[in-house]
Amino acid sequence: MSVRDRILDGCDLETFIVCGGVEEGKRLGLRLMAELGFQDADVVFCEKGGPGVRIRLRGYVYRPSAEYRWDKEEPEDHEV
Amino acid sequence: MKCKSDFPNSRPERKKIVLAPLDPVHDVGLKLIRRKLVERGHEVTLLPPDLSPEEVVARAKALEPDFLMVSRAISYGTSELLAKFVDLCDASGLRERTKIAAGGLSMRPEMAQELGFDAGFGPDTPPEAAVAYVEGREAQAVECERPMSKVDLTAGFSYEFRDKEIGDLCLRIARQLVNWAQDKTSPGVERARLRLDMEEARAAGDEKAASEIREKYAGLCGGEVERWYRTGEPVAHTRLLSDREIEEISRLKEGGHSGDYPRSQDILARYNVFIQYGTGCPVMDAYHINLSLAFGARGVIHFDPSWGARTEGLLEGAWSHQHDGTVLTLDNLRLIKNALLPGTMWQVRAHRGLNTPETVILAHLAGADLTKINIVYGSLGAGTDPARLAVDGIESMRLAARFGLPYDVVTNEELCGVPAKKAFAGMLIVATAGVLLGGRPILQPLFANSPEAIIAGLTEDNFIDFNAAKMEVLREIIDAPIWPGAPVGFLTQSQDRCQSSTMTALHAALALKIGAQAVTIASSDEAYAGGPITAPARVDTLKTTAAALRFFGSAGISPSRKAKDIAQELRQGILDVLKAVAERGDFVASLYEGLLGDKEDGAYPGRAGRDTVKVK
Repeated sequence: MSVRDRILDGCDLETFIVCGGVEEGKRLGLRLMAELGFQDADVVFCEKGGPGVRIRLRGYVYRPSAEYRWDKEEPEDHEV
Repeated sequence: MKCKSDFPNSRPERKKIVLAPLDPVHDVGLKLIRRKLVERGHEVTLLPPDLSPEEVVARAKALEPDFLMVSRAISYGTSELLAKFVDLCDASGLRERTKIAAGGLSMRPEMAQELGFDAGFGPDTPPEAAVAYVEGREAQAVECERPMSKVDLTAGFSYEFRDKEIGDLCLRIARQLVNWAQDKTSPGVERARLRLDMEEARAAGDEKAASEIREKYAGLCGGEVERWYRTGEPVAHTRLLSDREIEEISRLKEGGHSGDYPRSQDILARYNVFIQYGTGCPVMDAYHINLSLAFGARGVIHFDPSWGARTEGLLEGAWSHQHDGTVLTLDNLRLIKNALLPGTMWQVRAHRGLNTPETVILAHLAGADLTKINIVYGSLGAGTDPARLAVDGIESMRLAARFGLPYDVVTNEELCGVPAKKAFAGMLIVATAGVLLGGRPILQPLFANSPEAIIAGLTEDNFIDFNAAKMEVLREIIDAPIWPGAPVGFLTQSQDRCQSSTMTALHAALALKIGAQAVTIASSDEAYAGGPITAPARVDTLKTTAAALRFFGSAGISPSRKAKDIAQELRQGILDVLKAVAERGDFVASLYEGLLGDKEDGAYPGRAGRDTVKVK
């Protein structure tokens, strides 16, 4: 089981991207999420300030009513 | 709430300890540890700050302590400094009789051990752990429990009107409403009775009777719900839960996670903070509930899909839904109940649609503690026909009284643009009707930046005065519990996680600090419409709410003088609205005619369920 399957629902990534504006920031942010392997990604928040954007990106791993990890594999002991 | 961090009663062997900050200033943590050690009878020397490592070692060597405990708060260069410190201790021979330990904000236990210390304490370590180490004991686990008992939010309230003029009008209108509804019924009322009979037949094992009642019930349903009863074809975007999903909820309950509660959130045990759940999937809900309770929520509120309010009839079985809102069925509610802790307050909202009385029945059968009943908002802001919701609302309040379920009465029509004076008049009339029917309503004013507030500039300077005025005016009118929501801070939150969480926390703290019995808070995703709320977004606002409550403590929050003026104006406005409704002599007609919110305000009488009210 990949660590990604342990994510309950979504994975947020917050960072500052050096860029010219909000649209470029969003485009770069979504490209970053794609590079990280998140297929169901979105920009939650993006604000220009100084040399770039403060951006929060979200990759949904499981949306409600999806096929969850607990429905496709034998449950594992929780380590936490 | 209790923390298992008490010291053992027996007196420990007296030890000599030297404490030293490896910083330019004192670490408050060391002072706290000194106090605890002295209380236990140990001999403690706290060295001054800003000594070099060489000086600390030299002074410690001269004192010949059993323990030398150093702290480091500044993170810059920590590992290099501590490595050098350990070397100095070794070279000086200090360690032949002295154990050395390191702690502080920039310390991680594994780092201390890697560097060669005898022990290391991280920033979250309680001082008791350092004391336990000195005394050669295992530090007792600092386990914090969540409250084991529920709170009756309505306890101690008389429901007596303090404002007799307003009270007399409310009573007059509410009596007219109750009398008007007395000889009327609706498919919603009939289905509620059938549901109760059906579940009683099932509980008694009389499947034949249950099946006959189910047939009658199906005949009173509409749309996709009726189709499901007739053909078994699922409602769009729903599917039945698998056995494994159902088992997952039990596994979550039995998984041993319920004891892992962050200490930073303990303060929320003193307040009644509710969160709303309704991801669509009961399993996901169970997870969200479980983690929200761990992070300090005292109560949870079930949110169903919006189509559930507009469709006649409720499904049966355990369903998952791909969009917002978890399908309201007895099976789903019973599954979700498994995720609750003994002290969790559970509200199942019934308030705005065509299935309101039956939802009260399901809430009762599933063991909920609270429900939500409303007539005005559902009629003017949520699409249900006023006459239909008046009949169903009265029946719902009757049922809630019968089952001993308190319920809140919302004023969400303010979000449509209805001014607070009209929304409050409506809320007071409905709550008065509830009291006449033997119930225990809870007033739910919006704590938000409503369209009225924005347009009138009531929140131009601050968000305190308008909201505080609402609480004040309600308290001056009636002795009843108040539970602002839902959720607090509506229309002040943005998609920025920090801003959104802060606004929620400050609204929640304001409400609780000026005497609200409970609050409902959103997640930091409140203003994000791109997908479902995530678990970390739920934690965000519970964390900030705890921090805000810690910040204000017993100091409280003081509104400006403007709040008094707003409250007075609001009281006069409520009085004028009530007079107009009383003069009209017909509460339901007043809803259609806009006395409690008109088209100009943004309120429209709903159409769902129109012409379905019948005389018995």
